[in-house]
Amino acid sequence: MRKAEKNYFLYHDINAISELIQLGKEEYKAIQAEKEYIFPNLGRKTYEDLMTKFKQYVDLASSIQESRPLGPDFKLRFRTLGHELTRLFELLLKQERRNVNRIILFNISTLIVALAFILLVQLVFWQYFFRLIIKELGNIEPLIKKVSQGRFHEVAVSSVPSHDEIGIAIEAITNMARELEKRESALMQSGKLASLGVLISGVVHELGNPLNNISLMAQGYLSLYDMMGDEEKKHYMEDILSQTERIQKIMHNLLDFSRQKKTEMVEHDPGEVVERSIGLVINHIKLANVKLHKSIEAGLPPIVMDAPQIEQVLINLFVNAIQAMPNGGDLFVEVSKDQKNEAVVIKVRDTGSGIPKDLLPNVFDPFFSTKGTKGTGLGLSVSYGILRQHNGEISVESEEGHGTTFIITLPCHREQEGEGDAE
Amino acid sequence: MPNEIIIIDDEKIVCTMCKKVLDAEGYQVETFTDSVQALERIKEKRFDVVITDLKMENVDGMDILREVNERYPDTKVIMLTAYATLDAAIEAIREKIFDFFPKPVKIEDLKTAIKKALEG
Repeated sequence: MRKAEKNYFLYHDINAISELIQLGKEEYKAIQAEKEYIFPNLGRKTYEDLMTKFKQYVDLASSIQESRPLGPDFKLRFRTLGHELTRLFELLLKQERRNVNRIILFNISTLIVALAFILLVQLVFWQYFFRLIIKELGNIEPLIKKVSQGRFHEVAVSSVPSHDEIGIAIEAITNMARELEKRESALMQSGKLASLGVLISGVVHELGNPLNNISLMAQGYLSLYDMMGDEEKKHYMEDILSQTERIQKIMHNLLDFSRQKKTEMVEHDPGEVVERSIGLVINHIKLANVKLHKSIEAGLPPIVMDAPQIEQVLINLFVNAIQAMPNGGDLFVEVSKDQKNEAVVIKVRDTGSGIPKDLLPNVFDPFFSTKGTKGTGLGLSVSYGILRQHNGEISVESEEGHGTTFIITLPCHREQEGEGDAE
Repeated sequence: MPNEIIIIDDEKIVCTMCKKVLDAEGYQVETFTDSVQALERIKEKRFDVVITDLKMENVDGMDILREVNERYPDTKVIMLTAYATLDAAIEAIREKIFDFFPKPVKIEDLKTAIKKALEG
């Protein structure tokens, strides 16, 4: 419209006025149609001002077209109205822009809120799932702990594991524990048989003596028969019987030691277990010119243990000590409570050759041996496994040329970690 | 004067049985189940024959054999053992043992060995 106005005043183009009127009428109608929308943007007063001025502007243009008298300040009025209309339209445009910006801002805010909401829902959802997964993983954790501690027989789940990945993992861990238990049991048996082999020479001597006694009694009985009274003859037979009982006891001890038994954790007096173990090797100790120094503290607390396994550990340590002193020596066995009264400590010390410093860290490794072909390298590694199953410890201190000390620690109260694991 | 014999074995039955049989043969017999005490006795008195076990606590048969050989070269030592290894026998022979019997011992063999020892 303002372009047509300009063309008229600059070039006196009467067609520009027709164009202006045409455009003005169309625009007027359009603004009227959008009245509801423009009202809130400009306010009623400004809207009415715009409409009045628009009408006056078009009316002035119609006066030109119809060649009506225009008055002296016609051009000024026409131009002023044009300016006024431009200003009002710009105001409308500005307001419109502001509205568009507001809508965009609103949409962005809505989008952000929606995204935040979705994120929150996802978070809650994932947390729920994570908790489910972690709860399931919580069932696995104690099983793995037991496997790492070597308590394979305790690895069991009370309920049938689910058929998902976690269930499959639990089943795999349980199977692994069974397999490890079988292998460890076989390893322990190998270690036990190795100790047994070493014990044989002592056993031969131990059996040889009662056999000799029986033989001598029988020979004496026959040769002195005529000179003996009934009481003396009876006494001979009783002595022979007691010697057969002695042989039986040795055989029983050996069989007991060699037999593979199921792990049985019950309370035992640690002093008695040490005494029994010494009993099995006492002849071996004597034969090797080793002097035994035994010190067992009175009033030791009972220890929950698998006694044959602990005996196996001790016998192994005694045999190692004896072998470390080929020319005889001293074997010290001390059993005492620890300072805190929470464990029983068994020390087995020899005055033998000692273990070189660089080999010390390896002594509990399977198949590691300092005895060459004489050792299987199983004894100490099996002992280590046994102590671990008892929540106990075995450690070594040694000085080359002065001897070695093995220290066994057995806790008085076994940790009940297994409780409530398999819910 | 009867021949004097000392028997050293930590098994009491060996001591009592051998003493009974050898007493009946007319020998003068002393027995010791503690080898330390036996060694002390040997240091103060000479015996014609010493019968000793090989493996004993504190003082063993080889210690007895060495002590006897050093003090009384004419005394014969007969060794008994339930631990009859070749190494033990060789070591005993080197130390001039008179006879060496693995357990169980036959009393007749022992009696023969004592007779031979006293003759020689």
